[in-house]
Amino acid sequence: MSGGTLKKNLPGLLQASLNPWLVRIKDHPERLAFILHRVTGVIIILYLMAHVYVTNTPTRAGWEAWTQVMAQFGNNIWNKIGEWIIAGCVIFHGLNGIRLLLVEFFGIGVGRPVHPKPPYRPVSLYAGQRLMLLIVFGLAVIGWVWAGLIIFG
Amino acid sequence: MSLVEGGIPTPPEKVIFKIKRFDPEKQEFYWKEYEIETFRGMTVLDALLKIKEEQDSSLAFRYSCRMGVCGSCGMVINGMPRLACQTQVGAIATEGNPVVTVEPLYNYPPIRDLFTDFTSFFEKHKSVKPYLIRKDPQETETGDAEFAMTPEEYEDIYQFSLCISCGVCYAACPVAAMDPLYLGPQALAYAWRYVSDVRDEGYEERLKIIDTEHGCHRCHFAASCSAVCPKVVDPAMAIQKLRSTLYKKKLGAWKKKTSKKVGPYHYEGPSRAKKVPQLTEALLPGVDLEAKIKEPVNIDIELK
Amino acid sequence: MIKMSKASNIQVWQYITAILLIFFLGFHLAERIPQITGLTYHQSLDAENVYHNYSSYGWALWFLAAIALFHGLNGLRGIFLEWRQGKTYTLTVNALFWIVYLALLGIATWTVISLPALG
Ligand code: SF4
Ligand code: SF4
Ligand code: FES
Repeated sequence: MSGGTLKKNLPGLLQASLNPWLVRIKDHPERLAFILHRVTGVIIILYLMAHVYVTNTPTRAGWEAWTQVMAQFGNNIWNKIGEWIIAGCVIFHGLNGIRLLLVEFFGIGVGRPVHPKPPYRPVSLYAGQRLMLLIVFGLAVIGWVWAGLIIFG
Repeated sequence: MSLVEGGIPTPPEKVIFKIKRFDPEKQEFYWKEYEIETFRGMTVLDALLKIKEEQDSSLAFRYSCRMGVCGSCGMVINGMPRLACQTQVGAIATEGNPVVTVEPLYNYPPIRDLFTDFTSFFEKHKSVKPYLIRKDPQETETGDAEFAMTPEEYEDIYQFSLCISCGVCYAACPVAAMDPLYLGPQALAYAWRYVSDVRDEGYEERLKIIDTEHGCHRCHFAASCSAVCPKVVDPAMAIQKLRSTLYKKKLGAWKKKTSKKVGPYHYEGPSRAKKVPQLTEALLPGVDLEAKIKEPVNIDIELK
Repeated sequence: MIKMSKASNIQVWQYITAILLIFFLGFHLAERIPQITGLTYHQSLDAENVYHNYSSYGWALWFLAAIALFHGLNGLRGIFLEWRQGKTYTLTVNALFWIVYLALLGIATWTVISLPALG
């Protein structure tokens, strides 16, 4: 390449997947959804690996060990908070995942190509997926509160 | 204060431009500030030209048409990638905060100041074969007829063909911000523009090109590309359609619609020509209709 | 560009597992909701209840592990491919993906197959 090095002008993985204000665009919740989807996804897979190991306890060390581990979880507030965070991640990732399935796999919710007219708004930003996204945000909050009631109640 | 209701407000009299410049010798970015007088309707490009004329002739940036057609002047203005010639200073600078920041487009190697290197952008564009491919290449070579296309089919591709290759979408895309090999919104939108074109038969080839680890699967529908595209090409929509088509084809649920060649020598449908009845009497007095009909038609087209 | 088998061979499974996960994971989470099971959250995790779950639909739990691990690890693989590029790197990430997947699936299989009887 004839110019400077690309690295200098490339924000990189962490910036791009964690910072929703990397580019400042108004009225653009899709970007936030992308970042949340990615962050929750990483949290869930890390948990899942631990989960597969922990649920192996009865096989590895017998049912008494399982009861002990569960008692530990039940009595520690930090573990409970952790569980609650995981629950929130799963709820958001799942709900937004349904939206992404429709959009990316079935190709619906992004509208149809049109002849652009003023005020020149891209169709995909106000097609069905935007409404779905708002519903996802709403339901995720409700679901998270409910999960909190179940875990702490 | 806007003069026209709903119009773009007049900018503050003096606006400070903070420009992120790149020094190619030191290979470093540095910020520089300029204060300029504005006028109503001034675009950021006008302002940059004014700075270059009056204050600092060393400022480098790319532009050509000044009217949002050539796609040369993409920059990151106040944090959002956009065209400098389509952004009015009045729309972004207010009395309370008369500051405009201008940066070179993200995700491209900087060359100097606001100049960025578009080599890889155009290479990616070329790599998706952005032209009509027919199974019989003679059909496009000889050009003795047209390929049929209904107005609806035309509308399906029209929006995506509006792209001016400004590269603004790459600067907004979070995936392009981490993966320099990612084909990117513009190239993928172009791939879809030709895959969905009924006149094209090269979809197999093209779907193979975009079906790589750095092709359409890397897009995560953040839709930032659509949100910034100055021509409302809506690459995000194109990519989702492209990708779902790829999966549908893989699962055997998609069949490409391709049009036939039509034209003077190939048209086989019913004739649409209407017969106009022969005049029976002359419309102007003193004209011999019989003689006129026999007379050959001569139109003098030589220019005087 | 790196020449490899079509990326969609794997990616299409990302979406198929996603569809399956909606149902299987939905069911797995419903097991913990008191309004549905009639047990409190912590009761539902008691050895007795868990053993009961395993013996009546252990296959579903194993299948859930299989698809969830695939979906999650493949997502992680995508992130890694976006982080760095290069032929050796890509091959390593792909190989690691399968190794970690099979290892964790092995643990899950072990859990389901040789689960000791209660008591
Ligand atoms: S798709 Fe839009 S933003 Fe991207 S290069 Fe084309 S015109 Fe520019
Ligand atoms: S929709 Fe895809 S191409 Fe467009 S900005 Fe998002 S990730 Fe990039
Ligand atoms: S100068 Fe041509 S698009 Fe701005």
